[in-house]
Amino acid sequence: MRAHTVHTAPGIGPRWLVLPLLLVCLLLALPLPSYAAEASYASGVPTAAATAAAPIEVDYRTNADVEVGEDHEAALMNGASFGIANYSRANTGSSRTYSGSSYGYRYPSAGIDGFVAVETPGGALIVYIPESTAQALGIDIGDAGFQRSFLATLSAIDSAAVNGGAQFAGTASKFYFTSEKAVSYDGSIYGFGVEVEEGYYYVTIVTPGQEDSSSRQVYAMTGNLVQASQVSIAGKPTGLAALARFFSNLDWRPLWVSLRTAGLGLLIIFILGLLAAWGTVQVSPRVKGILDTVFTIPMVLPPTVCGFLLLLIFGNSTALGRWFISHGVNIVFTWPAAVIACVVVSFPLMYRSARGAFEQLEAPMLDAARTLGWKEGRIFRKLMLPLAWPSIASGTVLAFARAIGEFGATLFFAGNYAGVTQTIPIAIYFDWMAGQTDVALFWVFVVILISFAVILFINAYSSRSQRYRHGSISEVQEGSEYERLSDCSAEAAEGARS
Amino acid sequence: MHITRRNFIRIATTAVASTAMVAALALTGCGSGSSTGAGSAASTAASATSTAGNVQLQIFAANSLQKALPEVQALYTKSHPNVTFADTQFEGSGTLVQKLAADSGAADLLITASTKTMDNAASNGSIDQDTRQDMFVNDLVIATPNNSDLQIDSVEDLATDKVSSFAIGEPNAVPAGKYALQTLKYYGLVTYDEASDGTVSNIVWADSVADKVNAGQDSVGKVATLIGSGDVQCGFIYTSDIYRNADKGIKLNYTTPAESHKAIKYPGAVVASSANADAAKDFMNFCLTDPDALKIFSEYGFELA
Repeated sequence: MRAHTVHTAPGIGPRWLVLPLLLVCLLLALPLPSYAAEASYASGVPTAAATAAAPIEVDYRTNADVEVGEDHEAALMNGASFGIANYSRANTGSSRTYSGSSYGYRYPSAGIDGFVAVETPGGALIVYIPESTAQALGIDIGDAGFQRSFLATLSAIDSAAVNGGAQFAGTASKFYFTSEKAVSYDGSIYGFGVEVEEGYYYVTIVTPGQEDSSSRQVYAMTGNLVQASQVSIAGKPTGLAALARFFSNLDWRPLWVSLRTAGLGLLIIFILGLLAAWGTVQVSPRVKGILDTVFTIPMVLPPTVCGFLLLLIFGNSTALGRWFISHGVNIVFTWPAAVIACVVVSFPLMYRSARGAFEQLEAPMLDAARTLGWKEGRIFRKLMLPLAWPSIASGTVLAFARAIGEFGATLFFAGNYAGVTQTIPIAIYFDWMAGQTDVALFWVFVVILISFAVILFINAYSSRSQRYRHGSISEVQEGSEYERLSDCSAEAAEGARS
Repeated sequence: MHITRRNFIRIATTAVASTAMVAALALTGCGSGSSTGAGSAASTAASATSTAGNVQLQIFAANSLQKALPEVQALYTKSHPNVTFADTQFEGSGTLVQKLAADSGAADLLITASTKTMDNAASNGSIDQDTRQDMFVNDLVIATPNNSDLQIDSVEDLATDKVSSFAIGEPNAVPAGKYALQTLKYYGLVTYDEASDGTVSNIVWADSVADKVNAGQDSVGKVATLIGSGDVQCGFIYTSDIYRNADKGIKLNYTTPAESHKAIKYPGAVVASSANADAAKDFMNFCLTDPDALKIFSEYGFELA
């Protein structure tokens, strides 16, 4: 390597830096003199340097046995005296100024002792290994054996950490190794170990005559070269350990949010559904038709329509919504919104089950109760509810299942806030979208389990409640109000006939 | 069933009254619920007025920031223990702007993936214009599944037999979809009309691509998912999406020329009705100046503007 330079040219723009470059040459190894910040680049940013030496020829693509840590931070080649630690890869850098001075286009570097490898737009890989590191490890960066094992290790760790980006193993054809603080290549000046903020070092790239942002490279890798004994590589856990980690990392909140939301929702649905069903069976057919349509329509409408309407009713974008908000009802994207969404969508299931059951009750029996002077409320509590109970119970369970599964209206009206409105179905969708397929699958399994339990319960319950219809009435209903009244109504019916 | 008129009125009244009662119950529940609620303005307004107290920031950020931003947030909380973050919403920028219009107090800080979406938020009065600042720049790329042999050398390749399907984001909800549309228009593969607010309509695809395109995904992350699952051969996403979606099995294949679409900028701005404007502004500044934050954004392919 020949001499390297640093210079500042007061009052002269980057476009003309080529001329002073030829005139001013200082050894880079000398301590950098501090200049007044008159030049456009901060002091310490090399703006001129000797051209890189000829590229080395190295075939590093051997079947090297390189172990890479799980988090892609460390790598060690079997038999090598050194390894890589604190590895990171910057896919972009920044041409942002710091404290008013420009640092060219810069990529973060792993401290003052960190190595840096930059892939240039022209397909060259420039590797900087600080003198101090080379000395500490007793390596000669010009040695082909070192270069080969370094590149093999770097390539292995990078292909683990690359995340789908470009890899030098596929694109770089020329390799340069340097310990100099600055090197010129292809019209750009690469400065290494430039301290921008105390304790933060960067590789800076300056292309004379061009905007800093156009000095962008393909990517830059950095890390520390350390003794092999200092590299600790944590492997991926397998088997039970992996499972344990999955569960300890799992965010359980969607389950609790789902149970909480569906639980409170169910309570409201239960009360409203029974009242609505009771009210509907009592009114004239014309009113009944209208009420029935209104109560059932959320079941027919797409949940997104329900969610959209709710958003319009309570949101900021309509007069009604603004009125609600100005009166303290600001519920969009909150947990109550999730409850309301699941009530609206699941209510028809409860309502229809209850109404169907109420309608099938024998009218003469209810009338008999009235002739005995029973109030409507007592009839409801003592007769209608117990008699319709099997249907009501299955309606409740169905409504609960629907509430647990609610997605569209909730997402629309309550959003996706982890721990607040993120129910299991919403978590499944967003986990899948974020690439966490294993978590999404786990929740799918949970939902299937819940649904299975619900169906099992309904079947078991209805087969049990069917029994009295097949003659074993005494077993279940002996001495009940129902028995006495059905005798009563039978007598009344007979009396009417005779 | 026979029922007297009086009875009916009584029953109807009871039903209405009980419904009203339960509704009221639900709504008072809302009042107390919103103190833990993520999005409500009341929650944030109640929690802090000065930076000295504990602040919970709610951020609405473009979907592409989904992995990078939480890491920066964790970094920020480390140095600012009084500031925590509610569950940050990472959705298509258009969706976020709509949500902010529906609930003006839903967030403290908005970061979108295009100038136009931020303009829309500004014209809705959702943001404080003085705090608006370009935060990141990004590139539009064509990505393919990891195991794909497909090699794209130009956007025009999409019109050839080489490609049988590709995905872009829904242009009106997803800025990446809009940029993709601009690029495709640049290469004469689509025509469309654009209203002054940036809304795209009358999209007419060229015959060579008409039956290949999937333009219905409502976030750029879903485009990446589609590519990774192999449901489409390739798709238009940001460079940064490559790095954050690596576990979906996608790789960078082709970077579209910068001149084929508008410059991709991520503006950020404090929400107009935010009760934590100072903290939000400070966090925004942190993202742009902190060296550790720079390192995180660099890893994920976001270049600071």
